[in-house]
Order: sequence, then structure tokens, then C-alpha cells
Amino acid sequence: MMFRNRKNAQRQNTARNEGELHALTDMAEGEKGVIVKALGGFGLVRRLADMGLTPGVEVKLLRKGSFGGPVEIEVRGVTLALGRGVASRVLVKPVKDEPHD
Amino acid sequence: MTKQLRVALAGNANVGKSAIFNQLTGLNQVVGNWPGKTVERAEGTLHFKGYTIRVIDLPGIYSLSTFSIEEIVSRDYIAVEKPDIIVNVVDASALERNLYFTLQLLELEAPIVMALNQVDFAAKKGIRINTEKLSEILGIPVVPTVAITGSGINELLTTVIEVASGERKLKPLKVRFGAEVEKIVQELQRIVERTLPQLCEVYPARWIATKLLERDSDVAGKLKNYEGGAEVLEYAEKLAAELEKLHGEPSPVILASERYSIASKMAKEVTVVEAPPRISLEQKLDAITTHKILGYPILVGVVLVMFSLIFIGGSLFSGFLESLFSGTTLYIEGVLAFLPQAARSLITNGVFGGVVAGVTIALPYIVPFYIILALLEDSGYLPRAAFLMDNLMHKIGLHGKAFIPLVLGYGCSVPACIGCRIMETQRERLLAAFVVTLVPCAARTVVILGLVGRFVGLHAALALYVFDLILIFILGRIAFKVLPGEPVGLIMEMPPYKRPSLKSVLTKTWSRTKDFVYIAFPIIVAGSLTITALNLTGFINYITAGAKPLISGWLGLPVEAGIPLIFGVLRKELALILLSQLIPLESLSAIQMIVFALVIMIYIPCIATIAALIREFGWRKALAITFTDITLALLLGGIAYRFLLLFMPLS
Repeated sequence: MMFRNRKNAQRQNTARNEGELHALTDMAEGEKGVIVKALGGFGLVRRLADMGLTPGVEVKLLRKGSFGGPVEIEVRGVTLALGRGVASRVLVKPVKDEPHD
Repeated sequence: MTKQLRVALAGNANVGKSAIFNQLTGLNQVVGNWPGKTVERAEGTLHFKGYTIRVIDLPGIYSLSTFSIEEIVSRDYIAVEKPDIIVNVVDASALERNLYFTLQLLELEAPIVMALNQVDFAAKKGIRINTEKLSEILGIPVVPTVAITGSGINELLTTVIEVASGERKLKPLKVRFGAEVEKIVQELQRIVERTLPQLCEVYPARWIATKLLERDSDVAGKLKNYEGGAEVLEYAEKLAAELEKLHGEPSPVILASERYSIASKMAKEVTVVEAPPRISLEQKLDAITTHKILGYPILVGVVLVMFSLIFIGGSLFSGFLESLFSGTTLYIEGVLAFLPQAARSLITNGVFGGVVAGVTIALPYIVPFYIILALLEDSGYLPRAAFLMDNLMHKIGLHGKAFIPLVLGYGCSVPACIGCRIMETQRERLLAAFVVTLVPCAARTVVILGLVGRFVGLHAALALYVFDLILIFILGRIAFKVLPGEPVGLIMEMPPYKRPSLKSVLTKTWSRTKDFVYIAFPIIVAGSLTITALNLTGFINYITAGAKPLISGWLGLPVEAGIPLIFGVLRKELALILLSQLIPLESLSAIQMIVFALVIMIYIPCIATIAALIREFGWRKALAITFTDITLALLLGGIAYRFLLLFMPLS
């Protein structure tokens, strides 16, 4: 168990180092990523930070709405809906995970 | 003599704060506005162990910055009015995000007691929180509660009194950031203390320093009134820039990250995850109701069921009340027989008629409407609906949340206008309210179905609704382009589904109905009185004579139709009743019926809605919306008349 966790952690680290930046909207459903930066106006960036989307935090994309609708994400144990426009400005580094996760 | 206490409830949205408020105050509450602000202020009193406790329910917010009016109202109340105790309501199942807010309360150096709410729900998710440890770290009492059942409420009150009486001392945690940020905060704090001693009597110096570093426009504005304020501001700007260069992020993000890292560490320290989270019924329900395809038929189903219940329940209830009142009206006329005819008519038709209109028409639809709304709210469905509709709402410059007041509008425009408060900015609220006034409410539906649906056919009535939707879309887009300001994107919490509690639903319904009666009834009665007076003095004939070119010339309606159109301002369905009293409805041509219903559908919702608009947006904007709606209705009515003539010869 210990061993597997460490291996998992290592794998995550390499992914963090090598992975390239994606917009939140480019992630697949069920994929995880680490927030790198939010682009956009002062107000939007601050609002996102207040809702827990600060650089370095891990998010999981739960669902994408149809017809260019919002995305549903999990961050800090809370589910948030972000409009496509907002989500497309949040840049993440994908985190490779155990396949069964 | 009883001792007085002032307690404010503060916390995130969706944590059960209002449930705690309801448990504390019961029906003993007054809902109004914060002075000069369109932010709901709920206040109630209770008596406990010889204390009279005034409880103020602050708006549910995620931060104490300046994103919304709610945030500013809350922090000013806490800092300036200095309530005896702040009860910080915290969702045990989302501790990290909630502690982020708690830290900001601690930064304001407020006396805090924490209500760790929804511990039952957290336990179901396999999350157990060590309250003793949390209390120790924060240096404040932490009381576990389940607001829906009332569990822990007595302990909460006892703790509040112990702290307020000094029996129990707080040793609140001093929030300290990481070394780099901390150094800069402290440097600025010293300067603030030295230069602005007066401001520091209201707000803690460290808090002012932090907010200045975050480029908080509200605090910066306060500084300008003090000597040396400009210099402090300049220096703060320099420090903020330094910090940003160091971290490569905007300063508010740096400070938010600092707070979140403290909150995250704290949450980890006190949380025991007992069972691995597995997919629960709530999650399945969430997956289905926000499903790419399935979500939409479910949404349509929910809306249809909602309106069938409102209309069926409403018409039964309304009919019953009307038969009850018709007897009473005759009785009152009998009692007042000694008065001259005019005075009698003023009282029975004017005053009493207005009250009857409100009770028999508005209430039967409003009450079931509020019950269903509270059910949808408490269960957590509304955010799902907003999620599904976000994209469409963006086309008219609004985001998904606007769907909620829009749907409310099909019931009644008054709560729908007030419901626009869920939008974040004043611009969004105004835009949503304008769109809402164009949505045919229950009363307008009565006219559309009762006239066009009945005599011309359902397809024509349906066409009117479709036309209205297109109109809403076009006008929404125009208003969106015309109104200055940037559209705000959707950032919304999706709270987990919960079983609604009967008590909470009934309490909400009661306080909203009360609010509706306060806004609508005086206006309905005053309006009814005015029109009766106009009628009695014969003045109304001048108005209809003056309106003749408009009514028959432009709209192609019989002259008599002018009177119901004017009376329709009071209550739209009255227009149909009046019209039928003046001329047999069958004598109207299909075109006239459609034009009449169209004008009714678009021109000012009703006098109670105007009152609600005034309350929410002030006189000027309310009049602007009213004027736009009337002009539009007359314009489109005339065009429709000429357009329809091309296709349907006048019978």
C-alpha cells in the first residue's frame, strides 16, 4: 500500500513537471489537473481564487454541459459549475492518475 | 431586566445558515432590506436564559472581499456595528472552503462561535471532524449542529451566552501568512497604525493592511477621507507590486492562496475520513439531472409539473375564495347603505375591491408557487437547472442563474423581480428584471388562454407564447448590448441534493408571502381606489376619448377596449373580465383578440410589479422599464394588427 502510494505520487510529480498547459475546458470528463493560472480581469481572477481555485490546487473535471454549456468541477471537496467562458480561462496541468481512478 | 444580545449569523451559501436562523427565531422574524441596499436582511428575536437575543442573518457569501454588495454589507456590519457574537455557520462536509471564510472573520477580529453544521450529512459522506481539536486550533468554541432537526441549537445558544457574558474566554487564532507575505503585511500594518489611528478604531490595522495589499477598492476609498491616506495608499500599491513580482500572481490571488493553504492544513488536521466515499444516491441524481441529454427532458418535466400544480391548485383555491368574497361584498354594500352612492362605490369597489383582487387572484397562485419554489431550492435542483440553461442564457448576456427568475416570471412577476437578486451585479439584475417583465405571468396567461385560446384556438395562443420567447430573446440581446458593463460568467456552487424539510419550506413560504403582501397589497388598493375615483368622476371618459386614435385607429380595437387596458394595470386578468362586461367577447374579430392579448402580454406587468421594480432598482429604472414595455406593446400591437390583416380578412 505504502509502496503503491509512493509510486503514484512519483508518477504525479513527473506528470506535473512534463505536462503542458490546458484550458479547463480541454480536459476530459473524469480527468484531474492542477491549476496553474487563471487568465482574465482582476475581478474574475479574484473571484475564482475566493472559490478555492488558487494556483497549485487539484481539480477534477466531473462533467461538461452540452451545447457549450458550463463545466462541473470538484475542487477542495466542493462541486462548482463554471461557465464555458470562465472555464476556458483557467489553465491547468493535467495529472496522470491510476487508470482505475 | 433582561439582558440584550446582538448575534449575527455569517457563513457561505448552502451551509444551512437560514435553517439555523429559522431554528433560532421561528416565525418571529422580519425580512427586509439593508438600508439603501437591495440586499435581503432577515432579523428575528428570541429569549433564552434571561437574555433577549436579536439575531441577524447575514447574506450567504464565500469571501469578505468586494465582489458583491452582499460581501460589503456583511463586512461593514461585522466591523462597524460590532455585534456581540458572530455565529459562523460552517458546512462540516466542505470544511476547507468554509474555513477560508472563518479565517477572514478572524482577520476582522470578530468574536466568533462556530456552528459546525450538517455533521450528519458529513458523516454520511464518511467525514468525521474532531471538534475539540478544531476548537483548540481556532481558539473559539465549535458546536456541532444539525439545523434541519434542531440538534445542537440549545448548546449553540448556551455557548453564545457563555462567551458574551465573559464566562468563557476566546483565544482566537492570529492568522499568520507565509514568511514573505507576512513580512510585507506587517510592514504595511505598522504604517497604517501610525498614520490612520482613527480608521484603526473601526477596522483592525492588520485587516486594513491586508485589504490594501489586495487592492480592495472599498477600503482604498475609505482611506481618501483621512490625512496621510493617499500616501499610505501609494505605499501599499508599491508593496503590492513588489509582492506580485515575487509571486507572479495578482495580489488578491496570493493572499487567497495563503488563506487556503492555512485552511487546507487545518482541515486535514481535524478531519478523519472514515469510509472511502462511494457513489451515493445524491451523486447519481446529480449525474442524471445534469446529464447532457437526459437533463433537458427532466427540466421540462419539472417546469411542467410545477406549473400544472400552480394553475390547478391556484384556480381551485381562487374560485373558492371568490365565492367566499362575493357574499361579503354584498354584505358590506348593505352595511354602507346610509352613505351616498359615490362614497359607497369608493369603499366597496376601490378599497375592498382591491383587497379582494389581491386575496382571490394573487394569493392562491402565489402561495403554491412559493411552496414549490422552496422545495426546488431546498432540494438543490435550481442550480442544476441553471447549469443546463447557462449557454442559452449567455445569448442574452446573462448566465445560467437568470433562468430561475425567468421561470418564476411565468408564475408572478413580483417575486421574479425580487428573485433577480441572485444575479451578482447590478447590471445583471437589471437586465434580468427587464426580461422578466416580458414573461407572461399567470394573470396574463388567463387572458391569453381565456380570449385567444378559447375563441381563436390553442394554436394561436401557443403562437403568442412563441412570439413572446422570440421577443424576449431579441430584446434581451439589445438590452445586453445597450447596458454598459461587462457580462459576468457563471461561477456557482452545486450543493449536493438534500431532502427538503417541511418546516423550512413552510417558513420560507410564510415569510415570502408576507413580503409579497407588504409590497403588493398597498399598491393594488391604492391603484384600485384611483381608478374607481376616475370612473366615478367621469374623468375616465376623457382618457378613453383621448386614447381613441390609439385604441381604434392604431390597434384596430373597439373603443371600449381602452378601459380594460387601463384597468389592466391593476391586475391583468381583470382586463378580460371588464372587456366581457363592456362588449360581448364573441363580437371581436380573431385579429382583435390576438392584438388585445398581445398588448396585455407585453405592456407593464402590473402595478405591483412596478412597485417591486421601484424597490429593487429605484424610480428612474422602474419607470424606464415601464415606459419601454408600454411603448413596445403599443408598437407591436399596431404592427401585428396590420400584419394579420394581410392574412386574415376582418370578419
